[in-house]
Amino acid sequence: MSAAAIRLAQEADLDNIMTLEHECFATDAWSRGNMHLELMAHHTTYAVIYEGERLIAYAGLSKVPGSDQSDIQTIAVAPAARGRGLGKALMLHLIAEARKQHANDMFLEVRADNPVAQALYLGLGFEHIDTRKNYYQPDGIDAWVMRLQFAKASVGREPIVLGIESSCDETGVGIVRGNTLLANVISSSMDEHARFGGVVPEIAARAHLEALQPTLREALRQANLSLQDIDAIAVTNGPGLGGALMVGIGAAKALAVSLNKPIYAVNHLVGHVGVDILERGKLETPTIALLVSGGHTSLLLVRDLLTDVELLGETIDDAAGEAFDKVARVLGLKYPGGPEIDRAAASGNPKAIRFPRGLTQPKDMQKHRYDFSFSGLKTAVARWVEVAEAKGEPFSVANVAASFREAVVDVLVTKAVNACVAHGVPRLLLGGGVVANARLREVAEQRCAEHGIELRIPAFNLCTDNGAMIATLGAQLIMAGRQPSSLNFGSESTLPVTTVQSL
Amino acid sequence: MSYTLAIDTSAGTSVSLHQGGKLIAEVEYLENMKHAERIGSSIAEVLKVAGVEANRVGAVVVGRGPAPFTGLRIGIAAGMMFAEGSGAKLFGVVSLDAIAKAALEGTAADGSSGQPLAALVSAETPLLVTADARRSEVYWALYSGLTSNGVAICIEGPGVIKPAALEAMLQERNIQVQRTSLPIAARQLTALFEAQLGDGSANTDVTALYLREADATVPRDLREAGKKVSG
Repeated sequence: MSAAAIRLAQEADLDNIMTLEHECFATDAWSRGNMHLELMAHHTTYAVIYEGERLIAYAGLSKVPGSDQSDIQTIAVAPAARGRGLGKALMLHLIAEARKQHANDMFLEVRADNPVAQALYLGLGFEHIDTRKNYYQPDGIDAWVMRLQFAKASVGREPIVLGIESSCDETGVGIVRGNTLLANVISSSMDEHARFGGVVPEIAARAHLEALQPTLREALRQANLSLQDIDAIAVTNGPGLGGALMVGIGAAKALAVSLNKPIYAVNHLVGHVGVDILERGKLETPTIALLVSGGHTSLLLVRDLLTDVELLGETIDDAAGEAFDKVARVLGLKYPGGPEIDRAAASGNPKAIRFPRGLTQPKDMQKHRYDFSFSGLKTAVARWVEVAEAKGEPFSVANVAASFREAVVDVLVTKAVNACVAHGVPRLLLGGGVVANARLREVAEQRCAEHGIELRIPAFNLCTDNGAMIATLGAQLIMAGRQPSSLNFGSESTLPVTTVQSL
Repeated sequence: MSYTLAIDTSAGTSVSLHQGGKLIAEVEYLENMKHAERIGSSIAEVLKVAGVEANRVGAVVVGRGPAPFTGLRIGIAAGMMFAEGSGAKLFGVVSLDAIAKAALEGTAADGSSGQPLAALVSAETPLLVTADARRSEVYWALYSGLTSNGVAICIEGPGVIKPAALEAMLQERNIQVQRTSLPIAARQLTALFEAQLGDGSANTDVTALYLREADATVPRDLREAGKKVSG
């Protein structure tokens, strides 16, 4: 049952409501007159759910203008329609309505002998604050008085989440409201690593500390929000560079404590997958996800973003982005290697040299079907250049770059498409900074089209490491009713993708 | 009266809350690790013990080191962000300066009192403060005494050096020193900060004092390095 089937009650619903009222409350049903007044009162909101012509559930909210309180007046679900989440859907609808009318709290009474209903309300964040003796007559049953404080719960509202990312060389702060992107600011220390030809962890960590405050302020400015508007903080706690992760973690924890808001420690790689929600409003599952960056080369099967992410394979040595950087050095090109090789390869022949495709032999299929290896490829390119130079033969850098790039792209896309086919998954999502590579996108588009696979490539500033993806994953956890993390988590450099949230 | 939150992660994880210079609560982990794990709960704990909301904190004081890299950053990052969230003003204190003040006044990190060294120290016989810098090195600085408000006057340093080289330098220059290597605690940052307010020398600079370059060497020939890396 989707929330869309809920509509506001009208006077014409009265007959149907009274029929269900008597069916649900045999001994203590309201009178038709009272129900009529309830439906028509200016301070009440009644919602109904129909299945075809038949009313199967209704619920009512009372919110007197000028009062901070709201009350659930009644809620009824037809016995035949129970266990389908209709009660929860109605409650969420009325909670959202009460929020809209600026209530601070919601109260309700529930029979002490109705544990199913109690569990529903507790799950929504209600607390049992009082018991009224013999409240329900003529049965003489006690009532639990329950209260939901909206300031402490995000249920019924799209939470505004601020995400902090610091797992590698990008300091990212992103802000989302539910599934909507409000800000995404990225400060990169890439230039500082250039003279070393690769990311230096200590330099990255130092840069995070310096970038933190300006990046945060810029994100708030973009979102036109103050920190007081934030409902929760999310932060990457792995996988990534330990010293770099710790800067973000220390910052996020102090921010959460200073704002008295919950904190969610989330998985960086799962964040790369979840970011698609910001562009599509939801994540289509199942999907295969290929995440390729300077630090990762991972192939995931995602059946559910929060509960079922499986690592199919990953690199057993260098990440693909690292291979680009190292081969760029061999060819005398600048750092970062990806765009440089892309540029050099533009005029080259990708078939000029047949470089090896790592882990694609039949013998590799048993153990490394979806794993990657780029170390051998990188060495092969270096040897090839060495031999050519030793012979004093002039060679085309463009051809070497194009042939190397082709080998990397071929392996990446072949394995990803194979995973889609083998698992019967008609979707492929790309993520990570290497997605900027033009040839990767081109080949992925072509091969996916051949196999009837839908290809998703989020905008580049959502593909590269960013805070918005971390905020998004935090928001998804909150909207799914997950408890916040404690303040005690640490950095996990090798956090597995199966751990979406660290508690 | 507003509160001052002090954070020092140059050695262990040390957090304290003060009101008008008076210590209200503190959390102290001496162990030189797990800063990221402990920093959040330590701040939450001092607020909770004191029954104080974050927005009543008017100043955050962080220790800038000098200190080994990883832990130091976590405390500074946390202090910065706590100030952002609570609206407090952010100040930085050189951790060695805070140790110097404590030694000169005879107050140890645990609050116990020892012999105040102030009477024995002068520009000619300065106080040498050292702290473990790992890798067989120490952080050091020299102090000539206290200002009238009690701010330690640094006349040289801070620097990082091998202990033998430090001794050789002192001998060569024929400097007699009083010595201390008291452990640092957040409460000592506040003591110094309060004195600096009196002097008008409180500083909003919170830059980390690493005193060492990042561990990285530029490959002599990037092309060669690329070829030799094979795995």
